[in-house]
Amino acid sequence: MTRHTEDDGDAGDANGTTETSGGRDTGGCGCGEPAPGVPEAGRDEQPSIFVPDEGEVPEADAIGARGSGSVDSGGAAGDPAAERAATDGGVESASSGSATGGTDSTELDPDAYDPVDVFPGGDLDLREGADSCYKCTSCDTSCPVAEVDDEFPGPKFQGPEQWRLKRKDDHDIDESITSCSNCMRCDDACPSSVPLSQMHNEARGQFVERQMEKLSVEYIRNRILANYHTSASLASMFPRTASFAMNFGPARWAMEKVMGIPKERDFPEFATETFREWWKARGGAKVENPDKRVAYFHGCYSNYNTPEVGKAMVRVYEHFGYEVMVPPQKCSGTPMFANGMLKDARRHAETNVENLVEAIGEGADVVASCTSCSMSLRQEYPELFDLHGIDDLAEHTFEALEYLRIHEDLEGELDAAGGLDDEREFAYHAPCHARNQGLSRQAVETFRDVDGVTMEDVGDSCSGISGTYGWKEEKYEKSMEIGAEMFEHMEDADGEVGMTECPTCAMQMEHGTGYEIEHPLQLLEQTLGA
Amino acid sequence: MDRQVDVVVVGGGSTGCGVVRDLARRGLDTVLVEKGNLTHGTTGRMHGLLHSGGRYAVSDQKSAEECIEENRVLRDIAAHCVEETGGLFVKRPEDSEEYFQEKLEGCRACDIPVEVIDGEEARRREPYLARDVEKAIALPDGAVDPFRLCVSNAADAREHGARIETHAPVTDVLVEDGEVVGVEIEHETGPGKRVHREPGTTEEIRARHVVNATGAWAGNVGEMAGVDVEVRPSKGVMTVMNTRQVDTVINRCRPKGDADIVVPHETACILGTTDEEVDDPEDYPEEDWEVDLMIETLSELVPALEDARTLRSFWGVRPLYEPPGTGTEDPTDITRDYFLLDHGDRDDLPGMTTIVGGKLTTYRMMAESISDHVCDTLGHEATCDTADAPLPGSESEARMAELMDEFGLRSPVARRSGQRLGSRADDVLDEYDPNPIVCNCESVTRAEVQDAIGEAGSDLNAVRLRTRASMGNCQGGFCTHRIAAELAEEYPEPVVRDAEDELYQERWKGQRHALWGEQLSQAMLNHLLHATTMNRDGDPANLDEEVDFGAFDDGTESPDAGGTAGEAGTAATDGGRASDDAAADGGRASDDAAADGGRANDDAAADGRRASDDATTDGGR
Repeated sequence: MTRHTEDDGDAGDANGTTETSGGRDTGGCGCGEPAPGVPEAGRDEQPSIFVPDEGEVPEADAIGARGSGSVDSGGAAGDPAAERAATDGGVESASSGSATGGTDSTELDPDAYDPVDVFPGGDLDLREGADSCYKCTSCDTSCPVAEVDDEFPGPKFQGPEQWRLKRKDDHDIDESITSCSNCMRCDDACPSSVPLSQMHNEARGQFVERQMEKLSVEYIRNRILANYHTSASLASMFPRTASFAMNFGPARWAMEKVMGIPKERDFPEFATETFREWWKARGGAKVENPDKRVAYFHGCYSNYNTPEVGKAMVRVYEHFGYEVMVPPQKCSGTPMFANGMLKDARRHAETNVENLVEAIGEGADVVASCTSCSMSLRQEYPELFDLHGIDDLAEHTFEALEYLRIHEDLEGELDAAGGLDDEREFAYHAPCHARNQGLSRQAVETFRDVDGVTMEDVGDSCSGISGTYGWKEEKYEKSMEIGAEMFEHMEDADGEVGMTECPTCAMQMEHGTGYEIEHPLQLLEQTLGA
Repeated sequence: MDRQVDVVVVGGGSTGCGVVRDLARRGLDTVLVEKGNLTHGTTGRMHGLLHSGGRYAVSDQKSAEECIEENRVLRDIAAHCVEETGGLFVKRPEDSEEYFQEKLEGCRACDIPVEVIDGEEARRREPYLARDVEKAIALPDGAVDPFRLCVSNAADAREHGARIETHAPVTDVLVEDGEVVGVEIEHETGPGKRVHREPGTTEEIRARHVVNATGAWAGNVGEMAGVDVEVRPSKGVMTVMNTRQVDTVINRCRPKGDADIVVPHETACILGTTDEEVDDPEDYPEEDWEVDLMIETLSELVPALEDARTLRSFWGVRPLYEPPGTGTEDPTDITRDYFLLDHGDRDDLPGMTTIVGGKLTTYRMMAESISDHVCDTLGHEATCDTADAPLPGSESEARMAELMDEFGLRSPVARRSGQRLGSRADDVLDEYDPNPIVCNCESVTRAEVQDAIGEAGSDLNAVRLRTRASMGNCQGGFCTHRIAAELAEEYPEPVVRDAEDELYQERWKGQRHALWGEQLSQAMLNHLLHATTMNRDGDPANLDEEVDFGAFDDGTESPDAGGTAGEAGTAATDGGRASDDAAADGGRASDDAAADGGRANDDAAADGRRASDDATTDGGR
């Protein structure tokens, strides 16, 4: 990597030299207290920030930008205008003009360092995270992919080991990172707060950005899978045609051959009316309440494929007197992280953070019905990006059922509602990402005392689909092998209807058992009579 | 086996290895004897800095000039031992501007290429540098692996006919008719490769000349010959960090002082050092305050060090020497120059030359000058080529892409193997298929370990020095047994066990000085793994008497055996107990607790009756 330095020929000169970077120091407003971030466990000591590596930016320019980002010199500590280091590396933050109350994540401690720049292109330096690893291998034993894939070296290698072996000018990433499904069970398994998924996300991003052939079928296929938001929004224009065409035999055969998308899988049906169309037609919120507001992050799937989940959310929340806001939003980024498409994820994050932070400014908390979406907003966003207000967003984000369990007397309400007349039995699977948020038991606990509802937890195995992982032809068999335990337990359970919070887990459950799958919010709607 | 050779070199550090290589290449019949491993004394206990000379540019310009000259030579002939990290002399606000200028002028005077950069640029290059660093001088410091360097010198010497004997302490210097005629050594486990439990032997090696290259121990060897060599050994501590906080050598730009350098070394950073005279190079106190001082003081340059994980600390003794009568009080003021003492001229005892002082960076130059002297004395005409001939491993660069494809290594593993083995990589890795990783922390494969065993016998510490196996963050906890297992094909079980214990103990030794925070947890986990899982503190196989297998419970009498087997395997159960408190209060703050709670309950739920089972099966989990 070329070094750009000021004239170094003369000591006298160098004495008075300053980098000409002041003009670019405009990344943030510099207002507000540093907000305590979410997550708050040991791993959040890890620095965050992914900066898109704009290959075309002239070197000097890029360095100027980075120079201003990485160096907040001690002398400027007392100067409020200079206090916020432009850790975006000078990339203009979408929310810098926002009038709402977000704060910035950069610590103002003059001793604070900024890990951007250790590796070229502003990548994160996570070598330090390796300090927490004792090599105990709990992560490897919890990894569903390592269990079925002998070629996959496991999360310990992908995370702390690989990072510890890195050097500044010596940083390529092993290809095996692409076999990680990003289920994040290793995060949960680690007794020592190693930021495993952050390490994996960053490494995968670096691999895809630098080492993956951009014209390869694999890259294009992954890009399409990762950008489900885009394809789904196209498909939704002609939902019936799309649902038919996408699952049309010859088309599927061609897709597998050309794109590596396994023909065994059925594409989800597209709703004839998306959630947002319904919301608009309905005239928006039916309840207005400045004291109880939530901003609903429906995600792509509830919008395009299962609007009934979104509708259930709205009805349930309105039942409890909440004013529901539905701000403009894009993909939460989960499939993009899993495919190393950090630039795409960041672009979408800019929109999401801006709009959701605005809603927070209006008194709302953010509620998601998909556990991967809430996981992303809570953990991956602050770990990977440094956008204005991103820590506030993380702190104010909840899963839909979780939020009600915190703020409402759900038990009492359900009791009063009296249960269901017709007995219903469910086989419940807790998604890995729910597990990581401590939510793996919430559905079972919520409904265990409701008359007429029987819900069985089918155990703590991974469904195996992990978002886009199971949608790759070369991973399909492994995906089904991972899911086998769950399928077996579902068959074993009394219920003939599956239940889970995660849309892709639902696809896998349906694919493996043929059961109908519901979301807990739908059952809540039914049991509350909302 | 008394025969006469041309030269015996005593001491397998950088100087001794350099001398034996040089003399062997000049065609002399040479033997190197070393009481421990190669690098056992001082060489293996340094911070691995390849000096640019900047450090001596003010106080000792002659040394500085030698350093930059040899720095260039080593990048060339020992490329696989050197990492060209570059170095910075950084100035903090309280450091003297005058000295900064002096340093700069000194470097220029010594022909050391320098570049002055401001604080921002310095932090751009090394983001973890303190924010109040004002400016820095950039110069070509580097990192050198002293083990690999010595081993390569010794290997080259052997290729040129020299004999290398490690674990062979000198027990006497043979003096006949007022002349040194050789040494008596004790082979701790017999001549050749070290193999535990082989009986020791002694040997007299008669030589036309003896070179005493034992550094801080030179006085002891001198004493055996009846001459005084006044070495003033001075100890210094070095602290090893788990990761690289910096990728450049960071020096503090001030006159002199303790704790003023951070050297990125392989996967770690080494903090150095102190300078305190000791009486005995074998026996001196290793004190905690020295380690604390390293971390505290160097945190002024790199704040992240304060909270970073420390793996271990070690001490080394410098072989400082000054001519009798100089009487310098402070060891930091003693010159770093080297001295060649011809005992014929000096003490009227021909046949022996002692070399003291000096530093690793200039080892080759010192070796050349001693070899010139020895050749003069012996009347041997030959020219020195050590500045041009690459060391084994540095003939060409390892071809990384091929290592990955041909040998199926994952990229970080291929990179590390390639860097350690250099041009030998192909030959070494070709030997084993499959070639699993033996040491995960440092990515060392079976092939590399076996290659080192081929050279070092059952001496696993010598294997460690050659490969770095067990030098990562678990400090051998997860790999000493795997490395030892690599011996099992060739050596009997008791040898393997001894070798394993020795390596494990050596790893423990350095960790004693890092028992806080993460490394304390690591040490505890290692201990439990070895003491309980492997039962190494009470392994019946280590007992002298026969094992009474009848004393063990074979389980047949257990009243509950199989009692609940019929219910096993129905994992799909509800559970849903009131005690479940994995409720949702959001955020990762509570995650650990919540997730753990959730997990524990899941487990309980998953098999339903565990609580009652436990009661009847004696808590058998």
